[in-house]
Amino acid sequence: MPEPAGTNVSIAINDRPAFPVPTGQSLLAALKAHTIFVPSACGGRGVCGLCRVKVLAGAGPCTPREEALLSEADRLAGMHLACQVTVERDLRISIPNDFFSAREYKAEVIALRDLTPDIREITLQLRSPPVMDFKAGQYIQLRIPPYEQLRRTIYRAYSMASPPSARDRLELEVRQVLNGAGTTYLFKHLPLNTHVVFNGPYGEFYLRESNRAITLIAGGSGMAPMKAMLCAMQERKIRRNVRYFFGARARRDLFLMDEMQALEQSLPDFRFIPALSKPLPEDQWTGETGLITEVLDRHLEDQYPGEAYLCGSPAMIQACVKVLQKKGVAKDRIFYDTFA
Amino acid sequence: MPKKHSLDALEQTLRQASAAREGFLGADERSLATILQADDEAIRRRGLTHAYIAQHLLALRQAGWEGLGEPVSVPPHFEVCVDAARGTLPCPFGDQGSFAKVNTTVHNLASGKEITFTDLNIHLIASHGFYEGHGAQFRLDPEQLMDTLEMGEI
Repeated sequence: MPEPAGTNVSIAINDRPAFPVPTGQSLLAALKAHTIFVPSACGGRGVCGLCRVKVLAGAGPCTPREEALLSEADRLAGMHLACQVTVERDLRISIPNDFFSAREYKAEVIALRDLTPDIREITLQLRSPPVMDFKAGQYIQLRIPPYEQLRRTIYRAYSMASPPSARDRLELEVRQVLNGAGTTYLFKHLPLNTHVVFNGPYGEFYLRESNRAITLIAGGSGMAPMKAMLCAMQERKIRRNVRYFFGARARRDLFLMDEMQALEQSLPDFRFIPALSKPLPEDQWTGETGLITEVLDRHLEDQYPGEAYLCGSPAMIQACVKVLQKKGVAKDRIFYDTFA
Repeated sequence: MPKKHSLDALEQTLRQASAAREGFLGADERSLATILQADDEAIRRRGLTHAYIAQHLLALRQAGWEGLGEPVSVPPHFEVCVDAARGTLPCPFGDQGSFAKVNTTVHNLASGKEITFTDLNIHLIASHGFYEGHGAQFRLDPEQLMDTLEMGEI
């Protein structure tokens, strides 16, 4: 039987002690009130399907929203959307341990820089708490407040481009998406000195500890986590063979070239390989040309013994994973952060 | 099975939908039934079906997908570019699954006309004959769509 609204029940997570929460709220809200942040893009309206948690005991049947957004296998495994679970009785749930390190942060926009016609660098100075610990490659969920036709708060995920050593100052690289609610705000409604709110860090996309060679593959704003990883390697004096394939259409779509050249100077075994798919005559481009898959296929030796890290569109990742597997890279050595 | 919506409840969902910035009906004051009927008539006048339109859009999307974000030429004179953003969208009609935020832009090089549609648009047309309301961010006007893609009678 559900407990009456307003009475206290308990939530137990993983093997941690249970804590009391009032009934009548969503599980997502109850966890947030206890500073446990589960990633969500829609702010808890059952739209994005991101706030997945495993409920071991205490949840009712799936709501229609959950039935639409969760696969049958997920539902049979006890997965729920935290925003769709109403806290009515004692709950026992399981979530990834890294959710416990996510916090809500307030920050100020201290710099805006257009890197290409459609990619903007946003620098955030953390105000409260003043620092954040994260791994290079992870992301935050930035709160987008209502504006113009956006009626409700939403959240959007952006990877840090700055290294973890910059604990008080984060750089994000954001690509403008056609009619995108998040990026339209960030490109048109975010002046300097605006205060923003985000939560994080999240994500399993980070450099694995090993001595293997590394292939990085990215396009567009997929540059962000790669730059963070390279800067972290430089700072920690990690000496691994690294090749970074970066795909763009024309020279105007390339960015951070000076930073990449500087990293080539400071990382002894690092090579940056930009490739243009449609260079313009005025580009006078003498570097690699073609789709990033073609360039990768030309450069990567058979039975490549290293690891690969990819960040970009699902199409790019699908196609590059095929090339990597053709070159003998095992699935468990391919890591990617897909936009979808 | 997902709960089936009544038409009124569905219309309210579509007007308030948070996934699309202005909802799926935009500023359109017509009822959902009227919108569906008007767009259905526009398609039928050309001797086409929603299924055919959706298949055509899907074929263009798949051709563009091969470009990995770069424009792909599609005969006789189209250029197709597929672009993806992070995240997924559910069907506002409550259908199973969610749809990646994939935008396909088709440029008719002969006429200069251009149209952009999403993976969710393709699903909404195929499954519900729904092209969204006037003023909605991702409204696909059937006449414009068929003109840009030069779609004639089957």
